[in-house]
Amino acid sequence: MNRRSLVSIGVVTLAVAVLVSSAAAGQAPSAAPKAASAAKAYTPPRTPDGQPDLQGFWTNSTYVPLERPKDVTKEFYTPAEAEEAIKRAAAREAEQTEPGTTADVHYDFSQFGLDRSQSTIARSLRTSLVVDPPEGRIPLVNAEGQKRAQALAAARKARGGPYDAVENMPIGSRCIIMGGSGPPLMNAGYNANYQIVQAPGYVMILTEMIHDVRIIPLDGRPQPPQNVRQWTGISRGRWEGNTLVVETTNFNGRNAFRGASENVKVTERFSRVADDMIDYKFTVEDPATWDRSWTAEAPLAKTGGPIFEFACHETNYGIANILAGARAEEKAAAEQALKKGSN
Amino acid sequence: MRSTFLVGVTCACLLLVAGRVQAHHAFAAEFDVNKPLTLKGSLLKWEMVNPHSWFHVVVKEPDGKITTWLIEGGSPNQLIRMGVTKNTVPIGTELTIEGYRAKDGTMKAVGRNFVLPDGSRLFLGGSAPGGGGGDKK
Repeated sequence: MNRRSLVSIGVVTLAVAVLVSSAAAGQAPSAAPKAASAAKAYTPPRTPDGQPDLQGFWTNSTYVPLERPKDVTKEFYTPAEAEEAIKRAAAREAEQTEPGTTADVHYDFSQFGLDRSQSTIARSLRTSLVVDPPEGRIPLVNAEGQKRAQALAAARKARGGPYDAVENMPIGSRCIIMGGSGPPLMNAGYNANYQIVQAPGYVMILTEMIHDVRIIPLDGRPQPPQNVRQWTGISRGRWEGNTLVVETTNFNGRNAFRGASENVKVTERFSRVADDMIDYKFTVEDPATWDRSWTAEAPLAKTGGPIFEFACHETNYGIANILAGARAEEKAAAEQALKKGSN
Repeated sequence: MRSTFLVGVTCACLLLVAGRVQAHHAFAAEFDVNKPLTLKGSLLKWEMVNPHSWFHVVVKEPDGKITTWLIEGGSPNQLIRMGVTKNTVPIGTELTIEGYRAKDGTMKAVGRNFVLPDGSRLFLGGSAPGGGGGDKK
């Protein structure tokens, strides 16, 4: 089966899927009022200890951008428009680039099953994941946030160029943490898969990319002191009816989500609204970066398991190759300068 | 796979707007855009590892010398979900690899395209021998 066929299959199923998706998310536009009422009637199954059951394998893979494109003015696409948006985005992933361009220096995503149209997508009619502010875009970074960003950039510059020190390279490239780990859970682009496991008093979320695990206690214990900080923050959960609410603080500030400070608070809400869909919303609050909070919705669709080991750091040959490449280029430039000087 | 110039320009404009799914590091920092290459050889070993696969390929150079190249490809996880295993691509499989050579001048390259003898692309839609295709639920 070729890629075009795969895309076609995705497109054919879209009309049905988007209705399920928007119903599941409890956010149906006026075009689908019946689906919205069906969503309200859904009763999630229970775990043996009585929690609403969120367990299983889920993906937040999506073509919906975090922020609404500037040329789009509405909150929802029609099913036909959503279908077109997916087709366009899938085609962009498949067509890729021109030989001899920097962007072309890359392996073909489609050959490795990494273009999203080849696997499960969490479908939605939304034009952006951001739902508040209503214009679908993250608020502008305030003066304090800009000042902090400038200070971080200056510190990086003081350490040299991007390939002068491994510490200057992105933390995802260094296999420390990737965007999908959250919180919040964000589409990682590929391998955007999660496993949720529940035990009495705890929920565990395993992220495929880099294999990060969050173990979230539900017993109402307080957050640890401010000096205890982690890459993914520290999460505390509770049930509000059938919705799992998870609040996370105590980030270490080195994994700043969209430029947030270490004091950012992320509140996530998980509601199973269909056998194959979890409505996932998150709110970001950080007065040191934004003058107001903002909220996004990024549904989780049921997918197949298991989650395979990622073991990123152990075989991350790329970093060594990049640093070796930079040193080789420096050496060549130095030899060239010497040659020029002796002429 | 590779588009016409016109389509390529259009895509580049769209990508600026919509962003592009990226691998986990900047490949143009590791491999040289000015050193495109095409290698023909047989598979010696496939390191089915993350964050990127590495294919060891034995190549007969024009002067008859036998060399082993290391070719970087994508994460294997989604392939596994599609039913691809280590046995899907037998040792000795003939491959033509179009890519770019490593900046450090060693015999490493990124595999832009992996092409099988019948002209099909490796793993595309389960085209590899035994490749399942589809997302298992």
